[in-house]
Amino acid sequence: MRLFAVVLGLVLLCCHTAQAQVRSYDQMIAAGEIKVAVYKDFAPYSFEDGATPRGVDVELAQALAEALGVRLKLIWAPAGEKLDDDLRDYIWRGSPLHHHQLADLMLRAPYDHDYAQRRNDQGELENGQVVMFGPYQNEQWQVAYDRRRLDKVASVAVFQQHPIGVEVDSVPSFYLTSVFNGQLAASTQHYPSVTQAFAAMRAGKVDAVMAMRGEIDWQVQQAHDPQLALAENAYPNMGRQRWEIGMAVHESNRQLAYAVEEALEGLIRDGRLQAIYRHYGLRYEVPDMYQ
Amino acid sequence: MTQPARRQPFALSVLLGAILLSGQAMAAVSDQDILQDPKNPGQIVTNGLGVQGQRYSPLDTLNVDNVKDLRPVWAFSFGGEKQRGQQAQPMVKDGVMYLTGSYSRVFAVDARTGKKLWQYDARLPDDIRPCCDVINRGVALYGDLVFFGTLDAKLVALNKDTGKVVWSKRVADHKEGYSISAAPLVINGKLITGVAGGEFGVVGKIEAYDPKNGDLLWTRPTVEGHMGYVYKDGKAVENGISGGEAGKTWPGDLWKTGGAAPWLGGYYDPETNLLLFGTGNPAPWNSHLRPGDNLYSSSRLALNPDDGTIKWHFQSTPHDGWDYDGVNELVSFNYTEGGKEIKAAATADRNGFFYVLDRTNGKFIRGFPFVDKITWATGLDKNGRPIYNEASRPGAPGSEAKGTSVFVAPAFLGAKNWMPMAYNRDTGLFYVPSNEWGMDMWNEGIAYKKGAAFLGAGFTIKPLNEDYIGVLRAIDPVSGKEVWRHKNYAPLWGGVLTTKGNLVFTGTPEGFLQAFNAKTGEKVWEFQTGSGVLGSPITWDMDGEQYVSVVSGWGGAVPLWGGEVAKRIKDFNQGGMLWTFKLPKELVAKH
Repeated sequence: MRLFAVVLGLVLLCCHTAQAQVRSYDQMIAAGEIKVAVYKDFAPYSFEDGATPRGVDVELAQALAEALGVRLKLIWAPAGEKLDDDLRDYIWRGSPLHHHQLADLMLRAPYDHDYAQRRNDQGELENGQVVMFGPYQNEQWQVAYDRRRLDKVASVAVFQQHPIGVEVDSVPSFYLTSVFNGQLAASTQHYPSVTQAFAAMRAGKVDAVMAMRGEIDWQVQQAHDPQLALAENAYPNMGRQRWEIGMAVHESNRQLAYAVEEALEGLIRDGRLQAIYRHYGLRYEVPDMYQ
Repeated sequence: MTQPARRQPFALSVLLGAILLSGQAMAAVSDQDILQDPKNPGQIVTNGLGVQGQRYSPLDTLNVDNVKDLRPVWAFSFGGEKQRGQQAQPMVKDGVMYLTGSYSRVFAVDARTGKKLWQYDARLPDDIRPCCDVINRGVALYGDLVFFGTLDAKLVALNKDTGKVVWSKRVADHKEGYSISAAPLVINGKLITGVAGGEFGVVGKIEAYDPKNGDLLWTRPTVEGHMGYVYKDGKAVENGISGGEAGKTWPGDLWKTGGAAPWLGGYYDPETNLLLFGTGNPAPWNSHLRPGDNLYSSSRLALNPDDGTIKWHFQSTPHDGWDYDGVNELVSFNYTEGGKEIKAAATADRNGFFYVLDRTNGKFIRGFPFVDKITWATGLDKNGRPIYNEASRPGAPGSEAKGTSVFVAPAFLGAKNWMPMAYNRDTGLFYVPSNEWGMDMWNEGIAYKKGAAFLGAGFTIKPLNEDYIGVLRAIDPVSGKEVWRHKNYAPLWGGVLTTKGNLVFTGTPEGFLQAFNAKTGEKVWEFQTGSGVLGSPITWDMDGEQYVSVVSGWGGAVPLWGGEVAKRIKDFNQGGMLWTFKLPKELVAKH
């Protein structure tokens, strides 16, 4: 039960008095403050450096708040088992564990038509309460490796001989333990976070790390080590290799989505967003929508 | 006639209260009290009405003939807005009832009047991640202390008279996904608990603490490859790796994050001096990523209570691919066959099979289905190992599109879930709260997690019958025959109690506490409590009268799932109430 249960989390069954309220755009402007949910402990996108909020998403949220003429209030969201849980807890229903506090806007939701249109067994849209919009980043999987122990990554087959670190319960974990009938499973080492997997590579325990490109770029920049390299291998038999990252608001709050979209387009077109990514050592490509 | 009958309890309580206050010693709970619990019906100091967890009371004042006169004497509301699933079994000691409510709350209530004596509310952090509702399953009593586990994975000891914290100890880090919802138990002066963990990355463990101060005494990981320790003078001394060594039944390093959380706690058998615990499913969820048996996931473990050494194990679902936790209680009982007394233990597994084991060594004696439909296995071999139906195993992950859907019964919520069964020594039958449901399962191509593509599992639970899901069954553990059944529209989620008075009690999500004739299954009494009953009823003797108590409050894991099951339960109201009933003395004489 444990694994499946978390997938759905806590459902608020009744108690309308305790149910979270979605703020309209006008209420948000009148309050002079936008509440933006970002993931907790998720460098380089959103994390706390001591007490200072940092990261691409934090800076993007700040820039959007400024464009809307309101203050920014960050809501730090621990990642749920699946994104559906995060959208439920922070955008449309709230969670009794967080006093039913809702965010006006959540960053780092995928911009994926198929996902937004997914239906449950009753034929209802699974995320029908949410509007996902505003793609601002491309994401993909990436391997970094240490040249002192591995010449190059011609294909993932090299990881039969070379141990590789991954985050638990991630696609890199699933992929490397199952591809080629599990031939890479024995050399796949699991860590609680990408940061710890990277630390293991620095300590010589694994020769490579596979994670999201943004996380890898950030770790490589932090390491200041010319022997660390980025692999350019293919990932045979892998499902989704690239996807777009955008934002989410409640479906009753499209007015906010339009305002944010306009502000976002400005940030993308004048290069300010790219500068934010560069500041964290991340590559940036303008998403297709703006090309 | 009715007037004096109503007044009497009040008069009695005043009288007895005065006697108690005038100096009669309030005895501390001792090891003997705990071991003798089933034989002393004046108190309930163990979860399970006895350390073996039989949930059998030797009281027979209340019986099938007079149970119709069982009536409520008081009710106590847990209050607040925190009305979530209530799954505790109350304890009774010296006229005080101790129990827990949702959100890690503890209450002490005057057992005669229902008056609240004290309440303790654990301060819970924002980032707790309980699996299946914010429930708690009750306290342990020992000495002058009341113990319970919190949703943020702490053990807390409270003074039994004041409710003040005596000590509090972190068992595991809630930020890593650990929590505690089961009642701990005290055996031979050691406070013993398991942990719950819903996230990939946890490793289950069973631990013993010093009840006096919360010092850790031993720890036993439930996944192969992890070292167990005993603590001497604060120093950890190695006590052997669980399963001998890492990697025997797991590929790669997946044993490091193997799951197998013993989240439902356990029981104890004094005759063999063994702790009997069950363990949860292995991680990750997709079995294709972890070929092998994945010990000790979905297993029953027998441990030495002195140091946590594993004496034997029995794995009900090796290489689990359906989330069939093996946590369900293993209840010790003896029976005679061919003139020989067999020391057995029985369990009704999530996977749909009822197992009878030799509890001296964990050997399989027999097993049989206790629900009507099992598709994942075609049967059990001579060692009790399932004969898989590979067509019922969900496919390997990896493809972009939605994978092929497979229908499996039972559903992952189990042919029987956490709700404890009862064993009646007079009828020789187990009373098993079961559910008839199946599920469609598939791999989900389009899923996300924390800004990344992800491979999730899709599933939907389906009732197998139009008119019922829940079935209370009387099962003969020797013949494997079902003696009677009682159907219920909604899934059953409450514990069972049986008595020498030929009675079986259990609750329903519809809000009824019901009593049945233990021999025939005839429903002989019911009472509407106002919200779903998920708790485990108790019965005890006080001032010469037989009482029954149960908590009421709908919630728990069932409402977390949608689909067709949700339609059957969507109109049930939540609650948080402790109900106490008794059979008045003068009505006993009437019959």
